[in-house]
Amino acid sequence: MKKILGITALLALVCIITAILSEGFLSGYNIENLARRTALLGIISIGVAFVIITGGIDLSVGSVVCLVGCGLPWLLTKQNWSMPAALAAVALVSVGIGIFHGVIITKLRIAPFVVTLCGLMMYRGIARGFTQDQTVGFGGEFTGLRTLATGQISIPFVDGFTLPAPCVFLLVAALLAAIFLNRTIWGRYMLALGRNEEAARYSGINTDRMVIVAYVICSALSGLGGMLYVLDSNTAQPVDFGNFYELYAIAAAVLGGCSLRGGEGTIVGILVGAALIMVLRNMIMLTTNYTNIEFAIIGAVLLIGVIADELVKRYAMRRRAARALLAETKPS
Amino acid sequence: MKLTTTILALAAILVTGCKPSAPSGSGSSGKKKVAFVTNGVASFWTIASAGVKAAGEKFGVDAQTLMPAEGIVGQKRMIEDLLTRGIDGIAVSPIDPANQTGLLNEAAKRTKLVTHDSDAPDSARLIYIGMDNYKAGRLCGDLVREAMPKGGSVMIFIGRLEQDNAKRRRQGTIDAILGRPENPANFDPPGTVLEGNGFKILGTLTDEFNFAKGKANVEDTLAKHPDVNCMVGLFAYNPPLMLEVLQQAGKLGQVKMIAFDEDDATLAGIQKGTVHGTVVQNPYMYGFKSVEVLAELAKGNNAVIPANKFIDIPARQIRKDNVDEFWADLKAKTGSGK
Amino acid sequence: MSAPLLEVRKLSKSFPGVRALKGVSIALQPAEVLAVIGENGAGKSTLMKILAGVQRPDSGAILMNGAEVEIRSVHDALARGIALIHQELNLADNLDVASNIFLGREPLRGGLVDTKRIRREARKFLDAVGLDVDPATLVGTLPIGCQQLVEIAKALSVNARVLIMDEPTSSLSAGEAEKLFKVIHDLRSSGVSVIYISHRLGEVKKLADRVTVLRDGENAGDLAREEISHNGMVKLMVGRDISQFYPHEPHTPGQIVLEVAGIRTPAHPGHALSFTLCAGEIVGVAGLVGAGRTEMLETLFGVTPALGGTMLVAGKEIAPRSPLEAIGVGLALVPEDRKRQGVILEMTVRDNVSLASLRKDQRAGFRNGRRERELSAEMIGSLRIKTPHDRQIVQFLSGGNQQKVVLGKWLALRPRVLFLDEPTRGIDVGAKQEIYRLMEELAREGVAILFVSSEMEEILGMSDRALVMHEGRITGELARAGLSDEAVMRLATAGEKVAA
Repeated sequence: MKKILGITALLALVCIITAILSEGFLSGYNIENLARRTALLGIISIGVAFVIITGGIDLSVGSVVCLVGCGLPWLLTKQNWSMPAALAAVALVSVGIGIFHGVIITKLRIAPFVVTLCGLMMYRGIARGFTQDQTVGFGGEFTGLRTLATGQISIPFVDGFTLPAPCVFLLVAALLAAIFLNRTIWGRYMLALGRNEEAARYSGINTDRMVIVAYVICSALSGLGGMLYVLDSNTAQPVDFGNFYELYAIAAAVLGGCSLRGGEGTIVGILVGAALIMVLRNMIMLTTNYTNIEFAIIGAVLLIGVIADELVKRYAMRRRAARALLAETKPS
Repeated sequence: MKLTTTILALAAILVTGCKPSAPSGSGSSGKKKVAFVTNGVASFWTIASAGVKAAGEKFGVDAQTLMPAEGIVGQKRMIEDLLTRGIDGIAVSPIDPANQTGLLNEAAKRTKLVTHDSDAPDSARLIYIGMDNYKAGRLCGDLVREAMPKGGSVMIFIGRLEQDNAKRRRQGTIDAILGRPENPANFDPPGTVLEGNGFKILGTLTDEFNFAKGKANVEDTLAKHPDVNCMVGLFAYNPPLMLEVLQQAGKLGQVKMIAFDEDDATLAGIQKGTVHGTVVQNPYMYGFKSVEVLAELAKGNNAVIPANKFIDIPARQIRKDNVDEFWADLKAKTGSGK
Repeated sequence: MSAPLLEVRKLSKSFPGVRALKGVSIALQPAEVLAVIGENGAGKSTLMKILAGVQRPDSGAILMNGAEVEIRSVHDALARGIALIHQELNLADNLDVASNIFLGREPLRGGLVDTKRIRREARKFLDAVGLDVDPATLVGTLPIGCQQLVEIAKALSVNARVLIMDEPTSSLSAGEAEKLFKVIHDLRSSGVSVIYISHRLGEVKKLADRVTVLRDGENAGDLAREEISHNGMVKLMVGRDISQFYPHEPHTPGQIVLEVAGIRTPAHPGHALSFTLCAGEIVGVAGLVGAGRTEMLETLFGVTPALGGTMLVAGKEIAPRSPLEAIGVGLALVPEDRKRQGVILEMTVRDNVSLASLRKDQRAGFRNGRRERELSAEMIGSLRIKTPHDRQIVQFLSGGNQQKVVLGKWLALRPRVLFLDEPTRGIDVGAKQEIYRLMEELAREGVAILFVSSEMEEILGMSDRALVMHEGRITGELARAGLSDEAVMRLATAGEKVAA
């Protein structure tokens, strides 16, 4: 937990500064917006974190968001599928994409970067193909389904703030992910193989299966994210829906303490990372007239965070190494 | 831990360093705050932002131009944050008007909302400020017929087709070329070859605001149809890309070019004769008029709302004969004396 | 005798939390091979790094030919004729031999590297180390032994008078090692002095003119040529008399637990391997590097599944397609490359020890944290793993303790058959003996042990029986009574001449 202390402090600091500079920041309306945006980003970030923890990378997240985000309204409004059929279809496609990635990566030994980069291009292209580049949306229909993303849950004894529905999805996903990662043998297997795949395999771990599972989790959560994104925005343009989301998700995961070398990461950290990105962007919008530099700021904060993390880690390593040496040279 | 503290302090400096001199929160300076939200990042909108700025100064409001770089989700986020900030009026060019009604109504509830460039007639917006894109498209189509009285083959280039304005503009162009009667409800799929009136429209290529792809589209067209007679670029940045490719291919002047909007390269091309003509919207006036109207609305003056809720900023055709005058005026408006 | 070529006086060096050197002195005469030995952590590496300019001492003096000098950098060291040849070679695989030798000092002609000239000059230095390869050969395509010679040639090309060699034979085959020894002899004859660091006492005995032993960062003693003996060295290294280095007692083999019949490995598909292994038996597998011993273990353990043949474990036929299946029938493998295949360096002792047992101890997919703690406590106790606590990151343990962690991981599963691949490579004398003791104990408990070793003394000292391999074949089996250096070498080379 020490690892996410710095990032949490940074989040708190950014919140405090923004609250001082902008009176609207702490309004219920804004907090609701932030909670919803964080939830949407958090869901896909948790997915990509599993892949990163196993030492891989998934660049197709944004395109899966696009495929599902365009596919769902397309099936419902243009193809007139029933709601259960359409939901089942996007769920199957999401999981199928994960299996597809995982199998190619493990069985054919092709680098995840390459496989998912191709995915990034393919799924958006497919979405653009079947929609013929037309924007697809729900119009005024499917308000029931849209409640999944737009619904507000009032919290007892709290006025002026209602919990956006995506937060419920996030909390459930985060809880399950944390239990999976920390309490199950598969979670431990993923952490182990992320550190050292060969040693994990020599220890009797079915590493291929674990990698496939990680990609399935990632694509499934990307699909869930895509569904919630489109239910929230009510409309999706195949051209740019979900553009760069894989990079935000990776950034959130890295800010939250995941190492791209694999084997490291906490779910809470990822949520804090996702929140930090969203609060930073909110801060820039609320307090400045220079929204076009927001990526410069997010990039700088990410870099500073990662550098700080690395320096702290090195320092801790040195101390630990010294202690270990002492312990060993002591006669037992 | 000392290190972390230092880093945090650094971050704080960075963060506070970004705070501009402009005060935040509405009302703290007494000036009304209005925002002009575009549908993307483009030089077209840079001209509009000049109008926004000029009107802001003239009418004494704090006017800001916001260009979402991330499509619908980004535009939604910007509008939500503007509402949080306590804005007195928003002019927006909705990316997908039919499906953004919810968002627009939410905005209309919390502030004065007008649409510009692209309308959302089903929403609670107060006014639409813009031109009729179908009519503008027809002006463009007329230029094609004028440039090639004997007919020929035509390829159309456009940023994207999702937006209502883009759809209508393209359809107007096609209908005018083919000599069809006015009917904004027509829609021809982008991939089909259309023939009529001595013209053959080879297709419509989109590039999603990706300039490299826009250029590649032109190159690919030259490769696939070496004898193409005419190219039409319907988004502001298309004609400059087309000019560049034609120059590299040594086909400047051989292939007729019809443009839309008033990029410097387009206007220079008209002066040199490499571009037959262009149809200009008046983005400067979009910005200017939007801010003017919002400033009045913010003051509570609802008389600026016309009965049909439409303020027309008409399009014009620019040819060799009137390009110099137009350009001089444009330069004066954007303040670029060069 | 004149002043020594290189002398170190009272050198001290501390790192945060540890004093690596506490006033060490050594002296190196011209044309001398000085072996510096000691257990891990004795200070050998630190001393050598200081001499090579990688690190600076806290106090003490370095003298060359009687005059005090200061070595500030690797460049400084090279300028004074001191070159360090690392355990892991520092060659660029994708460059040719000549370019590697002159890397960073390429003679230019017209702004370009004068390829002709460096190849011509390289030839000279390659001859000096007796390496007959074309200077235009890519280094990556050479066997490791030849690469080592290239590294030495590179040192000679900067006119090195003192060569420091850190465990130079650790990845060489016996034949390659012999060749290296000859080169070292030749170098000495031509006036170059060598500081030779090794864990392999047999080599030291063969090569060294003198031995300096370090222990806990201090001089433990010197042995002159005629005093050098295995026991003498061990005694100085560990500070006490180790009367019986190999604790082997003959075992009475029990039932056959592993029967291998005609197994073919993907590495050597042309040869079928057959042998049996009994409960409570320790069988050594000898052979040169590249004889296919590791490949055999990996196939038996399911890492690289067999192409054919059968395998019976306790009478049941199995054909493991993965380590998981092999573990299921009671096999375990302590792999050759500890850091890559044995432990997960960044994880804790507890997590490493419990890794293979997670599946067995799971409760409906969930980990059993209490069982993990018990297991690690048990293994730390019974294997005497020196660690402050079981949350220690394995990376910070010594090689010997890391190896015990790997063993602990497998013992937690109570295997029937234990495969050990070079179980004592790169670990110090004390830890080696502990590993031997553990092997003995396990065999007494009825575990069948098959171990691969490149150290002849280990094979001779620990085996009840030995299999000898050559180029993918099992060329012979030697009972303990018939085990000898010569018999093993004859089978290992299958009559092939060993470079003398």
